Amino acid sequence: MRDATLSGPGDSLPGSKSSLLPRLEWRIAALKNGFQDATAYRLEFFLEVFGAAFVPAAIQWVLWYALFVMGHQETIGGLTYHQMLAYTFTSILFTQIRGGDHDFELVEMIRSGGLSNYLLRPTGVVEFVWIRGLAPKLFISAVCLGIGVAVSFFYPELSAARMVAAMGLALLGNIIAYQIGATIATLAFYWEEAYSMLMVKNMIVQILCGELLPLSLFPASMTWMWKSTPFYLYVYGPTQYALGRWTTGEFMDAVGIACLWMLGLWGLVHLSWKLSIKRYLSLGG
Amino acid sequence: MATLTKYSRLFATQVKNNFVREAVYRSNFVTMLFTDLVWIAVEFALFTVIYANTDTLAGWTKEQVFFFLGIFFASDAINATFFQRNFWQFSDLVNKGELDILLTKPVSPAFLALTRWMSLTSILNFFFGIAIAIKYADASGFAGGLRWALVPVWLAIGVAASVLLRFAFAVWVFWTDRSWAITRLYFQFFGLATKPDAIFPAAIRYTIMTFLPFAFIGSVPTRALLWGLSPLETAGVVLVLIAFYVFDVVFWRLGLRRYQSASS
Repeated sequence: MRDATLSGPGDSLPGSKSSLLPRLEWRIAALKNGFQDATAYRLEFFLEVFGAAFVPAAIQWVLWYALFVMGHQETIGGLTYHQMLAYTFTSILFTQIRGGDHDFELVEMIRSGGLSNYLLRPTGVVEFVWIRGLAPKLFISAVCLGIGVAVSFFYPELSAARMVAAMGLALLGNIIAYQIGATIATLAFYWEEAYSMLMVKNMIVQILCGELLPLSLFPASMTWMWKSTPFYLYVYGPTQYALGRWTTGEFMDAVGIACLWMLGLWGLVHLSWKLSIKRYLSLGG
Repeated sequence: MATLTKYSRLFATQVKNNFVREAVYRSNFVTMLFTDLVWIAVEFALFTVIYANTDTLAGWTKEQVFFFLGIFFASDAINATFFQRNFWQFSDLVNKGELDILLTKPVSPAFLALTRWMSLTSILNFFFGIAIAIKYADASGFAGGLRWALVPVWLAIGVAASVLLRFAFAVWVFWTDRSWAITRLYFQFFGLATKPDAIFPAAIRYTIMTFLPFAFIGSVPTRALLWGLSPLETAGVVLVLIAFYVFDVVFWRLGLRRYQSASS
């Protein structure tokens, strides 16, 4: 028996041409719907993108300013002021792609009973929510890619070809981020306050993904912290590759690791939803 | 005096109501505790990584920054305990017409709007913050003794700055349909409060001490406690807080004039 929370009836039709259309149709519709929903209030959308990009970058920049300009240091963790700024600028482009709030949306659906509406629809709810949340991220990633490629013409350290590949890794990171979020979201079947675990996850991700500072600054005794999670694949990995600080071999290793995480998490998402949905009472929390 | 007594009693009643409400959801206590501990750990980890690569940051030693974090967490905890939650309800107050009921009461609707909801479990963060400040007080060069008496004064200033700033971001809900982006922008800027103001270049430092006084939440109080402020700087803090108070009152009143109950 198929799990309606993960794949809809449209997916269960065996592989004829006619079964391909419903599969694609609802996904394209969800993508369009997600984009329209995110941009319905354009000022809000742009304020959100601006806030998410500008403020973390400003905080990084002032840290480098304090360390290099005010502290008169030549290098920190083997990186010069110029290299730190390059990291900050490039990492902003990938920071915009990572995460999203769609895992919170799942928790709210479970908590409020809103999930019931989705269980009746010919779509898999976990994938539906991801695709809806992915839509604005795809738009932003296209804009960031354009900016990165344009800058690469004036700034040789940033390669256009590497930028494209790095954006691909960042998108894999987005999938991993959602898979982790969707797994944690199933806690909501058992516990009213499950959203707080997503908040905890987000706080940990913020420092371990390389958004606040390059992970190479971690002292040797602390590197296990980021190496043992997939979070570095969201921002640090793509930034390192785009800036030519990772070889293509290291990049391919990272892609392989990302695929392994995705595979393992795919299984975990299926298992957690299959087991947890039995607890669903549709009572509104 | 009678007004002060009336509002004090009202505030005490709100605390009591919130205590009863929170006692019903005991698991929330553990959740909040865990979430806040992770937040504190992340902030400490960030500075631990930075100080693994340098001895001082804009003249601040690691111990001074940790003392700052203690003061900041304590100040923020008071705000989170008594006020923060109300700002999440601001949008519903206006868009769902929930403000109607507050407008019919014989007390200030702004006072009610700011004190209805509390997160009393967040008060634990206050004790964590104070414990951290005490732990790093000596190593950071804090004079101690009678100077500890100044801690409540500067914490009160930090809380006032937090509430006035958050209100200034929230009050726009009377004019916008949704407040999510502005709220998010507030929390993005809030990142500026989690670092000592000395690390910022002059323009940003000026901004976070005037137009967006996030430095008043933890950084300026810490500097005042460690090294003292000049009379000019102290006057600046008072003037900025007064200006924000006036701004909030004016825009709240303008907002009320625009308010059209549930249909707005």
